[in-house]
Amino acid sequence: MLEVSGLEVRYGTVPAVRDLDLSVGRGEIVGLIGPNGAGKSTTLHAIMGAVRPSAGDIRLAGSSIRGRAPEQVVRAGVALVPEGRRIFTELTVEENLRLGLAGRRSKDGSAEALERVYELFPVVHESRSRHAGLLSGGQQQQLAIGRALVGEPDVLLLDEPSLGLAPTVVDTVFGALLAIRAQGVTILLVEQRAQRTVALADRTYVMSNGELRMTLGPGDAGDSRRMVEAYFGSS
Amino acid sequence: MTDRRGSLELIGPVLALALAGIVGSTGFVDPALENEFKGALVSVAIVVALYVFVGNSGVVSFGHVSFVAVGAFAAGVMTVPVALKPTITPGLFAFLGEHSVGNLASLALAAVLGGLFALVVGIPLMRLSGLAAGIATFAVLGVTYNILNNWEKIGPGPLTLTTIPETTGLLQATIGAIAVVAVAFAYQRSRYGRKLRASREDPAAARAAGIDIHRERLWAFALSGALSGLAGGLLVHLAGTLQARDVYLDLTFLTLAMLVVGGVGSLWGAVVGALAVSALDSFLLRAESGEVGFVDDLLGKPLWGGSRLVGVALFMAVVLVFLPQGLTRGREFHLPRLGRRRAVAQESSA
Amino acid sequence: MTDDVQTLVDAVALGSIYALMAVGIGLVFGVLRLVNFAYGQLIMAGAYALALTNDQPVLLSIALCFAVVLALSLALELAAFRPLRRASPTTMLVATFAISYLLQSIALVKFGAIGKIVVVVPKLSEPVTIGGVHIRWITIMTIIVAVLVFAALMVLLTKTTIGLHMRAASIDPATARLLGVRANAVITAAVLVSGVIAAIVAVILPMAVPERLLVGPDFALRETIIVLVGVVVGGIDRLLSATLGGFTMGVAVGLLSGYLPSSGAWPFTSSVYLDSAVFMLVIIVLLIRPEGLFVRGRHAALERV
Ligand SMILES: Nc1ncnc2c1ncn2[C@@H]1O[C@H](COP(=O)(O)OP(=O)(O)O)[C@@H](O)[C@H]1O
Ligand SMILES: [Mg+2]
Repeated sequence: MLEVSGLEVRYGTVPAVRDLDLSVGRGEIVGLIGPNGAGKSTTLHAIMGAVRPSAGDIRLAGSSIRGRAPEQVVRAGVALVPEGRRIFTELTVEENLRLGLAGRRSKDGSAEALERVYELFPVVHESRSRHAGLLSGGQQQQLAIGRALVGEPDVLLLDEPSLGLAPTVVDTVFGALLAIRAQGVTILLVEQRAQRTVALADRTYVMSNGELRMTLGPGDAGDSRRMVEAYFGSS
Repeated sequence: MTDRRGSLELIGPVLALALAGIVGSTGFVDPALENEFKGALVSVAIVVALYVFVGNSGVVSFGHVSFVAVGAFAAGVMTVPVALKPTITPGLFAFLGEHSVGNLASLALAAVLGGLFALVVGIPLMRLSGLAAGIATFAVLGVTYNILNNWEKIGPGPLTLTTIPETTGLLQATIGAIAVVAVAFAYQRSRYGRKLRASREDPAAARAAGIDIHRERLWAFALSGALSGLAGGLLVHLAGTLQARDVYLDLTFLTLAMLVVGGVGSLWGAVVGALAVSALDSFLLRAESGEVGFVDDLLGKPLWGGSRLVGVALFMAVVLVFLPQGLTRGREFHLPRLGRRRAVAQESSA
Repeated sequence: MTDDVQTLVDAVALGSIYALMAVGIGLVFGVLRLVNFAYGQLIMAGAYALALTNDQPVLLSIALCFAVVLALSLALELAAFRPLRRASPTTMLVATFAISYLLQSIALVKFGAIGKIVVVVPKLSEPVTIGGVHIRWITIMTIIVAVLVFAALMVLLTKTTIGLHMRAASIDPATARLLGVRANAVITAAVLVSGVIAAIVAVILPMAVPERLLVGPDFALRETIIVLVGVVVGGIDRLLSATLGGFTMGVAVGLLSGYLPSSGAWPFTSSVYLDSAVFMLVIIVLLIRPEGLFVRGRHAALERV
């Protein structure tokens, strides 16, 4: 569904991502983990077209989307839940969701899409006329995911959705991911919570220093030696 | 950057100005052009004065023409012959109306007043940066213009000051412009200038290194005010007449645009910008009056009237929009490398 | 007493005009982070369109004014604002300065330095007497039009999709684009709305401000300067605070010119020093609140050392 090959991104002269290959099959949940500064967010931004890759290609359902502007990538069917949620705190919850409709390819079915999000996240529905800044961190995260979903993307990219959330709320968010996948959405999940991600995802890539280090399967979640190795580098 | 190579950077601006002075004074060109050359040199002085603050601090000032205005009015009012003052500026304070000074003294006075005014204004204003600084300096210009345009105790008020001695000859304009460039160069390579430039690149790091940004900016602002005052003195002695309008919006815009066209980040940029825009201006002016042969041949008639205004404005707008870093891209002058020149020479001889 | 009421009503009308211009400038700043110094020249172009069609039916003349201003707005967006999108705010401001100068030069060359009289609806310049107070129709109209424009703008911004996109883009343009908000569409919309407001001001200004009865190359330039100052003083990164800043400037200018004597020997003692008084106030306000007078909290687009 989503295929990244030979990706390289530079800020100035320093490469933040080097020769990265990854692929996400239709209906899969794929994890991407790694320490701070590994280049995970940069990878997602390159897919979205928010930063320009200096080499490599990005293909969506077989056709290249490299070099397209973010608003075009969204219309091609990719949605991002950005790091730190990036909720518009001065707008109402409902207005935030309506912003997510901007990327829809067709205006038909908007109401149904909103309904589905309200069903998935009842708290969002309850607080829809309040200012988004009044929501708790967990509620804002649900809003951010909902905002990406109302565009009915084929591929959902999430950048550290569990950042700063209480453990019970993390459960809610990870649970929602399974429900979203069940609706047929393909997911690329960037996380710092390695263990949970590896356990949830069909496959998890480990990145550090801009490069892919290894790929883990769900079975590795219990293997603490491999997990430590993944994080601190193997020989 | 080594010291020797560093001082080479001064060669370009000085040579360009000296060349302008020499070309303007010899028979190479139409003597009628002499005034255009003088005007260009005075523009260089004003733009370089502006650059001393804007270029080194990275803070924009829309108020610099205030200091040019103060210098111009001081030098103008104080050189009108005493005998004529009762008719030309009857409202003056007695001590202004009863005295006049010579040319050089008036230039010195212009520099001192410009510097003092900038210092006083700068003490509160240098705490601001960004748009707030831009608007506040602009407000200073508004106040200066408004008072100069109305207060008859210190100048002609809404009238025109005339009979100002036209003492800015080509030699004085050239020396004046070179002097301003030399001071600007000395400043930017001094300890103070380097500290301020460091704060332009990275204010937080500069502050951490113990640089008092407010004070460094203030020095630059005052120096730049003094140079602007001097340039104002040169300007008024070039024109021979002065109205508050002459040193207000149009001049502000023109000098800022010259600076940005050349490249805000370097002294060379300030000089190139002022000379390039002045040259275009003079060229179009002459083409309009049918004095440029090839334009006449090409069009079959002189350039239509008003091309000059539109042409200069268009040139500046185009450079600003498409080359936001200016013609010099913010770099200082450097000599072409000898090796490369030789290679080119060989190529062309082959 | 009735004089006071008259002065106040006139001042509020002037404030309304300035507030309209402030909104026009603020809308574009919101989505482009660009302070458009050339805004006054859009108004100038509209006023020329009116002046050159004085003999035509009023509605045709006004329609032409709108067409000219909108076409020029779009041309500026395509030819200048778009290439400038990544430039620093200062470069942008100087560039719009250059554009303003360019448009003034073109007007000077094409129409000359002598102003042309603008006749829109002469009847509106006649006064009505309400409770002993003489107020010109245009003064009342100006206030009503401003209120209507702000109401319409509120509806546009809060009730329509493009309005929502405009608000989002001015708060956080990068995130808005990541959600699929089209940058170009939003900017074009803002430029057009801003142009509509400029055209409205072009129609009102010659009738409402007696010194603007004639349109020349520097038409609306002084207003633009004062409004820009007001917008920054009010707080440019919020539409409401920018508008309030413009409004306050207009009311202040109106009241000061109503109350200061028309002559005096020393600065600040007469209405000829009005600009000085206003600019001094501006400097003081900026020193106390560089982020803007009407901005609450830490939304500082303008940092200080
Ligand atoms: N906008 C930027 N400009 C310059 N460098 C950046 C920028 N964004 C990220 N970087 C650098 O790129 C590297 C990768 O960052 P990022 O992709 O954010 O990592 P991660 O999301 O894995 O924590 C880091 O070294 C970071 O400092
Ligand atoms: Mg990250």
